[in-house]
Amino acid sequence: MSDLIQAVDSPQEIACAARRLREIAQQQAITPQMVLEVFDRWAAALDDRELRDVPGMTFFRLWLRRGNLEPVLLRELGPSSLNGGWQEDGRAKLRAFPLGIVGHWPAGNIEIQPVLSLTCALLGGNGCLVRVPSRLVWITRRVMEKLQEVDQAGLLIDRIFMASFDHSRTDLHEAMAQSVDGAMIWGGAEAVSQVRGLPFPHWARVVVFGPRLSAAAMDAETWRDRTERASWCRRIARDVWQFDQQACSSPQVLFLERGAGGDPDEFVEDLRLAFQEENRHHPRRQIEPALTSAICLARASWLLAEAGNHALFPTSPDWTILLGTNAEMPNPTQGRTLSVLVVDDLMKVISTFDGSLQTLGLGVRDAQKEERLAKAAGRSGVDRIVKLGRMHVFSSPWDGTELIRPMVRLVRHVVSQD
Amino acid sequence: MSALGEIDRGIESLLMQPPYGVDPQQRHTALLALLKKELAYACDRNSAFRNYVEHWPLDFRVADRVADLPYLPVGVFKANPPLALIGTEEVRHTLTSSATTGQMPSRVVLDAATARRMSKGVITIIRDFIGPARRPYLVIDTAENLTAQAELGARGAAIQGLASFATEIVCCLRASQDGDSSLDLEKLLACAAKWKHADVLVYGFTHVIWTQLVQPLQRQGITLDIPNIHVLHSGGWKRLEQQAVTRDVFIRGVASVLSCSADRVVDYYGMVENVGVVYPDCDHANKHVPAFAEIIVRSPLTLAPVEAGQRGLIQVCSVLPTSFPGFLLLTEDMAEVVDYDECPCGRRGTSFRFAGRAPKAEVRGCGNLEITRYQQAKRSRAA
Repeated sequence: MSDLIQAVDSPQEIACAARRLREIAQQQAITPQMVLEVFDRWAAALDDRELRDVPGMTFFRLWLRRGNLEPVLLRELGPSSLNGGWQEDGRAKLRAFPLGIVGHWPAGNIEIQPVLSLTCALLGGNGCLVRVPSRLVWITRRVMEKLQEVDQAGLLIDRIFMASFDHSRTDLHEAMAQSVDGAMIWGGAEAVSQVRGLPFPHWARVVVFGPRLSAAAMDAETWRDRTERASWCRRIARDVWQFDQQACSSPQVLFLERGAGGDPDEFVEDLRLAFQEENRHHPRRQIEPALTSAICLARASWLLAEAGNHALFPTSPDWTILLGTNAEMPNPTQGRTLSVLVVDDLMKVISTFDGSLQTLGLGVRDAQKEERLAKAAGRSGVDRIVKLGRMHVFSSPWDGTELIRPMVRLVRHVVSQD
Repeated sequence: MSALGEIDRGIESLLMQPPYGVDPQQRHTALLALLKKELAYACDRNSAFRNYVEHWPLDFRVADRVADLPYLPVGVFKANPPLALIGTEEVRHTLTSSATTGQMPSRVVLDAATARRMSKGVITIIRDFIGPARRPYLVIDTAENLTAQAELGARGAAIQGLASFATEIVCCLRASQDGDSSLDLEKLLACAAKWKHADVLVYGFTHVIWTQLVQPLQRQGITLDIPNIHVLHSGGWKRLEQQAVTRDVFIRGVASVLSCSADRVVDYYGMVENVGVVYPDCDHANKHVPAFAEIIVRSPLTLAPVEAGQRGLIQVCSVLPTSFPGFLLLTEDMAEVVDYDECPCGRRGTSFRFAGRAPKAEVRGCGNLEITRYQQAKRSRAA
């Protein structure tokens, strides 16, 4: 079995790989239907004990299923898209064609992101050039080996070139950028700015996912309800824990709407139990010392800032709940540090959001109220409004952008004969 | 006796002890008792600090280990106004750290008593390494850093902290008009000639000694003949690491231009927030903790103290400050614990080796806005 992730050291290696991907794409076009068949087999192969504990793997397997992806394809590319056919558009016909080669720059903190990103481009029939962050090489290789097992004919595997190189190798990033027709860039502010500045061809379509922040909010009726509270707290803990709260869809703050008869201290006590339980199931295996310092500083700064501020945390950096009454988005600490802020009016808080906010996780009893809040959030720049506990469920559109359509060209054919 | 009076008496008693000769268990017992009193005192003096301590997961009053007492991350001293236990009228000096570009420096306030203990602490420690005698003191810096000021930087504080050992002080750098400095070779050569047979103390920031003394002398092929010299340096290795200057290269370079043996060049670790405590290297390249202080190296994963041989974040503990709550501080630096007693040099208690600043996390994911849109928007809203 050849190494699925190449340690690349020269721009020529990347240019050569891109040429090969282009040749393969020209030799044989693939339809979404063909891709879905391989994806189905891949999903089954990923049900493996070795991979079960990889963060996001359960979700990735569900993502790959035909039942999940077909509706996405139909919505983004139209009813005839599955078999790569033309579809009527008035007197013309439309058909999706691949851009060519799509470069992928996934974030280094999301284990499944290199493979998740390339699935979007493969569904459009593209070849994929993927830079795998060093921290994700091992896990990505394991996941790609499963694809190789189920794709003996090389229908998809031959259209993928995965490269591993140091993030500081500007020459290799440039070689990648010069070789692609489209790019999917994911990550933090610094990484995204650097990749966006690369010399892409003028025709290349560049789609950026992140950096963004996310928040959660609950109305008084929901968080005061003692019978449902433990369940909501478990959902919040799950959203905080996944990806160690470093994903753009991770909640950094939970706004609780004030209401008569509700005691926020009681609520955070339940939240503490949920955090403890989640930590017991998913303890950290490692942490950057700088993040430990940041967590300690967040705890101290919060409690020193205001004598009325409260906090719950263990002696370890495992998790932190900061409780107060500020209505403004706090600086994100990440590392499972959730600010719980009691506010008078959720609508007022949501109206102050801006385009930095990606996802708003909601727990709201009244449907009409939720609709009003969702409308306000959308107007304020939020791209996803979902139920608490589902903040990381990857779906299209993401960051307000479709996932497959940006990586295809919709070709219009107006027939020459009346 | 007032709480502060009792604390003062306890501190003085620890300062009187041989700095590295106390049995670790005895020292721990004394430190624990005194630190508890200091915490209680600080809680009385500062309601914000009390709020922090009250939220600590363990009650400090019943703690039986220094490691269980509530500690502050050193970053809280970047706040303005500085976190203090005294009124502004009692502030004698404000010490500021040397912040890197774009960062806010730490600031700690000293009253007369804390300033006095700071001097005593440094003298007690350094005396153990170079002896008690007063001697000529050569400062590898400009005279501007010697001037007494209300607000004193880390360099100034370090230079002035050693002034008690001086019979005379000479600064061998001169400030240039562009704000830079350069070696005053004439002055240096005159000192070298005058002090050839004397015991001499030299101090400078590590990178300043290298770039302003060693390199210029090496370039001109000049060797000074001051064999009875002790060269103390501090301030970290980051800038020299960027120039690929290792500890060995540095020591050999300094020893060669001054014609002294390598064991006369002593690196020490310290920070303005940990007033009165410095950690010089012993002959076995280990750092030691004096009787009035403690070092706890904590695992970044659990924040529990590490075993000997393991690395972690450094927590400094000192009984000396009473003007600000700097008794127990978690730094952003890393160290490896060598042993919890019995260094071959004979000094007792924890010995450790500095392992640099905790590296900044390389990737913090797509949820990391850093100082981009969100904070800009926040700033503009605030404006």
